[in-house]
Amino acid sequence: MTAPAASRSSAATGAISVRGLEHVYAGADGPLAALAPVDLDVREGEFVSLVGPSGCGKTTLLRAVAGLLEPSGGEVALLGGTPSAAQRARHIGLVAQDPGLLPWRTVEQNVRLPLEVTGADGDIGAMLRRVGIDGFEHYRPAELSGGMRQRVALARALVHRPRVLLMDEPFGALDELSREAMRVELLRLWEAERITVLFVTHAVREAVLLSDRVVVMSPRPGRIVEDVAVDLPRPRTPEMEEAPAFLDAVRRVRAALGVVSSPSVLGD
Amino acid sequence: MRRLAWVILPPILFAVALLAAWQAWVSVREIEYYILPPPTDVARALAGEPGRYAEALAESLLTALSGLVLASTIAFALAVLMAHSRVLERAIYPPALLVKVTPIVAVYPLLLIWFGFGVWPRVVVAALITFFPMLVNAIVGLRAVDTSALDVLRVLDASKAQVFWKLRLPSSLPYVFAALRISVPLSLIGAVVAEFLSGAGGMGQLILIANGEFETDVLFAAVFVLAGAGIGITAIVSYVESRVLGWTQAERQQMGA
Repeated sequence: MTAPAASRSSAATGAISVRGLEHVYAGADGPLAALAPVDLDVREGEFVSLVGPSGCGKTTLLRAVAGLLEPSGGEVALLGGTPSAAQRARHIGLVAQDPGLLPWRTVEQNVRLPLEVTGADGDIGAMLRRVGIDGFEHYRPAELSGGMRQRVALARALVHRPRVLLMDEPFGALDELSREAMRVELLRLWEAERITVLFVTHAVREAVLLSDRVVVMSPRPGRIVEDVAVDLPRPRTPEMEEAPAFLDAVRRVRAALGVVSSPSVLGD
Repeated sequence: MRRLAWVILPPILFAVALLAAWQAWVSVREIEYYILPPPTDVARALAGEPGRYAEALAESLLTALSGLVLASTIAFALAVLMAHSRVLERAIYPPALLVKVTPIVAVYPLLLIWFGFGVWPRVVVAALITFFPMLVNAIVGLRAVDTSALDVLRVLDASKAQVFWKLRLPSSLPYVFAALRISVPLSLIGAVVAEFLSGAGGMGQLILIANGEFETDVLFAAVFVLAGAGIGITAIVSYVESRVLGWTQAERQQMGA
């Protein structure tokens, strides 16, 4: 892949660099501060989760990083440039809770969309195999389960080989079994690629299992209250959820969230 | 096979029963021919000179279709502008609503003055009557885009044209077809009303002449021809819709499941 010189030098400063980011929504009952000034750094190739209660501004933060939202204040640098520059360079992949597939397109055509838009080359067949939906090329989204649709959305987010993957509660609408399967799938995919991931979730154990770091945010207006490094080896497996380091990280995240940390509430 | 019979037989049997009752009523009560002719006479009028009806219907349908195409094209183009700009929407919507609520019969003399006595005032009536459903539905459809899909296109730095062709236009099609199911039969009504008002052209003129000569059987035949044509063109729209929008049926089944 050819990357502009400016973004290559960003490896030193971090793939994502957020400085004093704040946002105020113009609500019906007056202005609503969603995000207090927030600083966040994500190194290139790092998997970082944002965890917090509903309305803590984690989605706002992710959308500002994606360049989908113009923040009220502060700076966002993505791969050394602005988010719009990263958009123009086609460096961003995005997966939201709603897969947002085009219902009139088949699986294969949905995954092709980024290639059509960017004019980039990509191996759609290989991409479908990697997310485990080969054999479903000609199905339409309505014929797939929620988990399968989210796999298609993941394939679509990765097919143009982005350098940063932004995920906003991507498994939030799935049942627990599909969720578990998707976690394993995402781990396998990410551990092969090691692209930078910013992952928004409210599931503590999910965040700890997947991430190098879990960043905990407070209720509105959102601010970062804790930054928990997860001291578990890669590749990760679901069995690690029994490991002391896993439980320790979960305990620290929960403490930061203000959840009472007794062994009985450790189970999700 | 048996299921198909269950679908087809009841309406046919009911129609036959209605016609039989009509025939019996007319002959038993000896109702005057010019008030209510028996269905056999209506059928005879239709079979006697099929070319007369076919020619008139073809002219009416051509007028209706011209008006429909004209109005739908302009309405969709305006909808594209209005869907992209709230200011334009606010500016254009009131006069569009005015077109909808104004009785076309009241405007017809003006149309005659402006467009002469040819086919154009009739085409304009068919256009005016079909304009509003397309405009409103197209605006709603062009705005009814999946926000997640829109976000994906935005982080890919998709151009406005790409967003339009790949997302907005296909998203609007179910709404466009919903509008067509309303406006296609409306266009035929508009064409016939205009022919009736101007006394010239198509089924409207045929009805006026038959009325003047007390040819009640012809009047009935004309009504049946128009009803059949209305059903026919609506069926064509539904068929095209099912071919173009197969994916919405899959979605509906999914929601029902």
